[in-house]
Amino acid sequence: MADPVRVYVKLKGKVQLPPGAVVRVKDVAELVTNSPAETAIREQVLHVLKPGDGNRYVVDMIQIIETLQRAYPELFVHNIGAEQMIIEVQLPKKKISLLLVAFVWIVLFIGSGLAIMNFHTDVSMPEVHQRIYELVTGKKNPHPLIIQIPYSLGVGAGMILFFNHIFRKKFNEEPSPLELEMFLYEQNVDEYVLAHEAPGAKKK
Amino acid sequence: MIISLFLALVGLSGGLIVGGGIVALITVLDLIPRFVQITKTDQYLLHFQWAVVFGAFFFTVFDFFSAPLYLPVFLLGIVGAFMGIFVGFLGAALTEVLNVIPILSKRMQVYDYLHWFIIALAFGKIVGSLFHWMIYLK
Repeated sequence: MADPVRVYVKLKGKVQLPPGAVVRVKDVAELVTNSPAETAIREQVLHVLKPGDGNRYVVDMIQIIETLQRAYPELFVHNIGAEQMIIEVQLPKKKISLLLVAFVWIVLFIGSGLAIMNFHTDVSMPEVHQRIYELVTGKKNPHPLIIQIPYSLGVGAGMILFFNHIFRKKFNEEPSPLELEMFLYEQNVDEYVLAHEAPGAKKK
Repeated sequence: MIISLFLALVGLSGGLIVGGGIVALITVLDLIPRFVQITKTDQYLLHFQWAVVFGAFFFTVFDFFSAPLYLPVFLLGIVGAFMGIFVGFLGAALTEVLNVIPILSKRMQVYDYLHWFIIALAFGKIVGSLFHWMIYLK
């Protein structure tokens, strides 16, 4: 008796395809098979991305099994790893208006400045600076600028240091908190999509 | 006598809670891990912990009981810079906890310009702070 014809399918994590692309098995999964029709299996069409699919299309393992079974009824499909994966539809990159960037920049700049003033008032920073000035020098000074100007520059330096921006190459190669946040945010969105979006197979 | 004991108890309790609050704040914001990560000084983590504890303790004692030290004024410039770096860290950590920038840049599709926005935040802080001390308060 001949060995049964098997195919082992491992879904890829997340792929990006342009809109209107023909989704083939090889695009969304890696596979190992002893079938002589390996190339044909890889080229099997799963789906054609339509505008109605939105910008994320979920591929379910069952969809691949269905397609392969129809084309090769004698084929055993084995799933390894994840059962679903996401195709991210790469919309053509919109040209970002520099005006928008400037707008966001100004909002952050002014907001950040206002926030630090609110903070200083909230925690009575002026009184604390005056108190420190008096304790150290023995004199009163209602405007201890000798503390406050280095302090102000330090605030900016501390923020940049925290986001590890300018000195990244020098200090370390680890991701900065912002890059980590971006990554976690994307990951959360993917998980949400997998949990809430009906896989392509069931959407018909 | 009993009243004094009671007042001492009030002081002790208040101190315990405030001290716990400071540690909780610094812990929640992951300030020390961030310093350690940037400077790659993991093995000194415990020393940093004690730095926070002693800092809070000595400044309390200094504030409550010390006589003026009559030190030269330029020392305050150095102290001020250190205070600023710490507050800058605190502010950045707060911004980061609130997740403002990732969502903003994602929504408005301006991720490529992210570093400019960090610069905006930092310079906004510097300018806002200088404005507060040199113009607003005068």
